Amino acid sequence: MTDQNGREITYLEALREAMVEEMRRDETVFLIGEDVGRYGGAFGVSMGMLDEFGPERIRETPISEAAIAGAATGAALMGMRPIAEIMFMDFLTISMNQLVNQAAKIRFMFGGKAKIPLVLRTPAGSGTGAAAQHSQSLEAWFVHTPGIKVVAPATPYDAKGLLLASIRDNNPVLFMEHKLLYRTKGPVPEGEYTVPLGKATVSRSGRALSIIAYSIMVPRAMEAAEKLSAEGIEVEVVDLRSLKPLDNETIIQSVSKTGRVLIVHEAPKTGGFGGEVAAMIANSEAFDFLDAPISRLCGRDIPIPYNRELERATVPQVEDIISVARELALEGR
Amino acid sequence: MSVEIIMPKVDMVMETGTFVEWLKEEGEEVTKGEPLFVIITEKASIEIESPASGILGGLLAEKDDVIPVTEVIGYILEPSEEAPVPKQAQVQPEPSVEEMRPVTVESKPAQRSVHPETGLPAGDGKVRATPVARRLAYEMGIDLTHIEGRGPRGRIHKSDVLDFVARQPAGFPTQTVRYTPAKDLPIGFPEAAVRSVVPLTGPRRLIAERMAYSAATAPHFMLSLKVDMSEATRLRSNLQDRVMTQTGYKLSYTAILALATSWVLTRHPFLNASLNGDEIIQWEDIHLGIATSLEDSLIVPVIRNAQDKSLVEITGALGDLVERARNKHLAPSEMTGSTFTISNLGMFDIESFSAIINPPEAAILAVGKIVNKPSDVNGELLIKPMMNMTLSVDHRVVDGAGGARFLSDLKSVLENPYLLL
Repeated sequence: MTDQNGREITYLEALREAMVEEMRRDETVFLIGEDVGRYGGAFGVSMGMLDEFGPERIRETPISEAAIAGAATGAALMGMRPIAEIMFMDFLTISMNQLVNQAAKIRFMFGGKAKIPLVLRTPAGSGTGAAAQHSQSLEAWFVHTPGIKVVAPATPYDAKGLLLASIRDNNPVLFMEHKLLYRTKGPVPEGEYTVPLGKATVSRSGRALSIIAYSIMVPRAMEAAEKLSAEGIEVEVVDLRSLKPLDNETIIQSVSKTGRVLIVHEAPKTGGFGGEVAAMIANSEAFDFLDAPISRLCGRDIPIPYNRELERATVPQVEDIISVARELALEGR
Repeated sequence: MSVEIIMPKVDMVMETGTFVEWLKEEGEEVTKGEPLFVIITEKASIEIESPASGILGGLLAEKDDVIPVTEVIGYILEPSEEAPVPKQAQVQPEPSVEEMRPVTVESKPAQRSVHPETGLPAGDGKVRATPVARRLAYEMGIDLTHIEGRGPRGRIHKSDVLDFVARQPAGFPTQTVRYTPAKDLPIGFPEAAVRSVVPLTGPRRLIAERMAYSAATAPHFMLSLKVDMSEATRLRSNLQDRVMTQTGYKLSYTAILALATSWVLTRHPFLNASLNGDEIIQWEDIHLGIATSLEDSLIVPVIRNAQDKSLVEITGALGDLVERARNKHLAPSEMTGSTFTISNLGMFDIESFSAIINPPEAAILAVGKIVNKPSDVNGELLIKPMMNMTLSVDHRVVDGAGGARFLSDLKSVLENPYLLL
């Protein structure tokens, strides 16, 4: 799985590498979005790509997310494989009609005769002091829309492998990139490999408790697990990687083994994706192995504050995961 | 006028049935003929249909009750009619099934009503326990009201149940279950965490008893050989469509095997036989048992008088039996009384295995997967579809040479299946 040379690159570089390699291989792949050319995208993911591929394939758009999503959907319908970048996940609201009412529906409404191989990449989440309109995690809305797949890689390795798999998938894929993960480093092999959509991974094995997480919450859960291990509490961490399709089997196996589960995400708890995971577990064969209530640790039900201390207090941090996981693991033991 | 629902006698030798579940709720309207409840007999679990239409009431049977046949377990009532008092409760002074259960509410420790630490009420006499604690207690036969939980508001966790079991004196029933495997040969259990404890009941118990009996009493010997299935494969693909049109079922290798086996058995009657005390009965009829794996058990549906059946008839009979077995609609009489059994594990990629004889039969044929293998044909190396067959024989009934001749004839027929037509 890891590179033989032990090469480590950032999450951001891994994403760029996936796009560059796939655009060299497949001329139907192109990138479209605001400032993706000379400026290299809002976070620099596409830096330098304009020089290699030119303005035909690195297409800059006016400030209109509806146009980006609509043009990408149309191009996909005509046989291209567009990668659309929406500068902040918050602005997906403006492209929602194209995504939810068009991209997600067309393949079904035409009886499978048309396909929409569209990837919508978007930076998500808080922690950058960008306030309530530039910090949201809106994945639950898209998970709730049949016809769209949703992935949220947590490591550079998965970022590259999942992006390649998403570009090659014939359905619209919402690809969540957490802003705080862009600069994280990890081993990434050179050359092509894919991480299949719909497959979770057990990032750390343990018997006391399962933490189910995705995106930024995976490294936080891993750090919490490391600290709890020093106290003798061995926590298992399941990285979902894809929210839809969801890898029920890996979750059920883990929870059946540990009997206790904490679901962690940054998005607000009410109506959040964690509720879906909890209900799935309660209805599965893992139910008879549960030895404590299924628990969630999520963002608070408030807009993300601008104040850095309040922003931090709004979403689960490593110390929050440690204290909730510790309590849950020890309950009744 | 109420109609009694009784524990039915679904099998000639049945004396009691184990109740599994009601498929309808008390007070629910039911129609005559629709599935009403499930029981397990020694042979299978069976859905029982409602004897009448009306309102379901006065339910007496609960999960795992062992109930004598014909005993009343509930009633079908007219609207607004009251359930009659069960007869045996009026006549017999013995406690009813209901009264024999461990009393729960009364024997509750006093401190359960208010939790010692939190002082919160522990919830109207209800036991708080996690799903895994409830499951373990159920499997070990422990009454949860005797356990003090360490969780919030007295909630009982898995560790509370395991600690409770560990504290019990010797002779506590759960320890008997867990630590004494055999009466005459005490073998200790490993020091390992228990994942689950499954009671040995119903079909599982029957398989355990019969297989242990067979392995212990019938001296088995095994013969095996490989069959070139080229012609049988060709036959199957040639007849596939026709058989499908006539029967609605796919033509399986098992059906071809059943046909070939019964054809060969008519020429080797000593293998279609049963040992009965100091005599051996050779059967005229060939009732072929086809070992079939269901989710939780093994059953052996029986093709009766296979010696008189054509390939189409065998396919039809087999398809129907297996389909109904999967849906648990097989009558017990359709799963017993075979004179010879075939077990095919080819669909699980098993290439060869040996089987334990299904008593009181004299032999069983174990069949593996058809695999392409290099094969010597007149000095030339060719790839052929080969299938391994292993015959287990009861040496008290048949000798090696007799078994070998049967198996070798069966091989010839499968390699030249046109002999069968």
